[in-house]
Amino acid sequence: MIDFSHVTKSFPNGDVVLDDINFSVSPGEFVIITGKSGAGKTTLGRLLIRDLLPSKGKVVIDGEDLNKTKTKNIPLIRRKIGFIFQDYKIILDKTVGENIALALEIGGYSGKKIREKTSRLLEMVGIPGKEYLFPGQLSGGEVQRAAIARAIACDPPILFADEPTGNLDKETSIEIFKLLQKINSDGTTVIMATHDVTLIGLNPDRNIHLEKGKIVSDADGKPPKSETKKASSYSVIPAKAGIHKINSTETKRKIKSS
Amino acid sequence: MNTALKNIRRTPFQALAAVFVVSITLFVVGIFSLVTLASSTILLNFETKPQIIAYLKDGHTTDQVAGLISNLTSTQGVKNAVYISKQDALEIYKKSVGNDPILLGTVTDWGIVTADILPASVEITASDPKSFSTIASILEKTEIVSQTPQGKKEIDFPQDVITELTKWTNAIRTAGLVLIIALTMVCVLTIVIIISMRISSRRIEISTLKLLGAQNFYIIKPYITESIIYGLVGALFGWIFCYITLLYSTPFLAPRLGGIISFPVRFEIVLMLLVALLIFGFILSFISSLFAAARFVKRAK
Repeated sequence: MIDFSHVTKSFPNGDVVLDDINFSVSPGEFVIITGKSGAGKTTLGRLLIRDLLPSKGKVVIDGEDLNKTKTKNIPLIRRKIGFIFQDYKIILDKTVGENIALALEIGGYSGKKIREKTSRLLEMVGIPGKEYLFPGQLSGGEVQRAAIARAIACDPPILFADEPTGNLDKETSIEIFKLLQKINSDGTTVIMATHDVTLIGLNPDRNIHLEKGKIVSDADGKPPKSETKKASSYSVIPAKAGIHKINSTETKRKIKSS
Repeated sequence: MNTALKNIRRTPFQALAAVFVVSITLFVVGIFSLVTLASSTILLNFETKPQIIAYLKDGHTTDQVAGLISNLTSTQGVKNAVYISKQDALEIYKKSVGNDPILLGTVTDWGIVTADILPASVEITASDPKSFSTIASILEKTEIVSQTPQGKKEIDFPQDVITELTKWTNAIRTAGLVLIIALTMVCVLTIVIIISMRISSRRIEISTLKLLGAQNFYIIKPYITESIIYGLVGALFGWIFCYITLLYSTPFLAPRLGGIISFPVRFEIVLMLLVALLIFGFILSFISSLFAAARFVKRAK
């Protein structure tokens, strides 16, 4: 479904944000991408929605090479991907309902269907009846839920969440994470970029860790069969977070080349 | 439409400036359209009238007139030549005074103006102004053409009037065109600035919409709609100003141009002007906003 092949992204100032990235994501997967600020998580998302083009390599979604996508078709690519932004990007002078309606309008919905779907979405994300409130009247968690509702409004097959819990307390972060898991369980491929390591243990599916623009681990979140510590093991998750360390030899997968 | 109306409500002074500039521009366009229409009608009136009139002595015979007409019509560049008898001349006079009771009374009630005091004439229409000199020489040599006491043949050449009128009409049209172009540019720039400011203030929203997968047209639609509202409302006001000006100037113009243009001006013409101004306002605002919006949307990722 999604294929990053030898992707390098550098900026005109010389910064190499992503360096020869290779990974694939299959339909229905829940992938967490971790890494410190500046590791390249957001850039990955921007490449996915063709907000940026790779300096080298290619990004393929559903067989379509984004390097070759015509400008007029970029909106169509973006409609396949629900994007939850780190800064929410909720339009402040529109109500929650209007914000969601925008995405639905873009997706081709109209009139009564928009109203019905908005109500359903708000109920789904846990803020029913808030369509007439402005973002300023909501808590941070509620705004994030509204942003999630907008991102999944048109039932995109892929959802990319860029630091969706970055500005939230731990409890709300877990709630948001569970919401994303629920969306994933309905069949949506979810990619979540975060530096919140406490969430990794909650994801049994797959975690990719980035460091300085390179993938240093690509492993599932299940407890490793052997707790044997090897020099080659990646310790990307602090033990005190209560999450298992990942043995790269057992769980590493889909890294095409080192 | 809702977004466009909301934008207008939020910045009423910008909206007012846009509508005002469009109104003034379209008012000037409307006025000059009417002036052009009127001047064309006046010119046409002069052009379709006989270009040369030769007044005849009393006592001419039918054969003499027929000979003159035959001579004239066989001349190259003469479209036709018509004999106007004294009675015909009286009818033309009556028609030209229109409904003026005093002037009409001179014919019907008091009998001051009768067919006897009016001269018979030959009215000649030339298809080519170059033939005027030939026609003039034929008339100069014709016995039955009357003479002034100074011995000069009584021949009217309204071509001079037409030339003068054409000169003035062209001057007015040129001045009008220059003014319209200048005002149209001011109008376009005003709309471009207002729409650019509007878009600039909503840059983040536009980039969000693009990231959500909105097509460019979806993004610029509210701004184009807003601009078209300015164009149409401005056209409506411009037309209202034109109509008021026309109504106020009718008492002044009617006695001067009454024989050529019918006053009050028919409402169909005024309605046609409204339609023309609405179309012009629409095109003006559409192109201006498209220019502004396309420029900014292209920049936004």
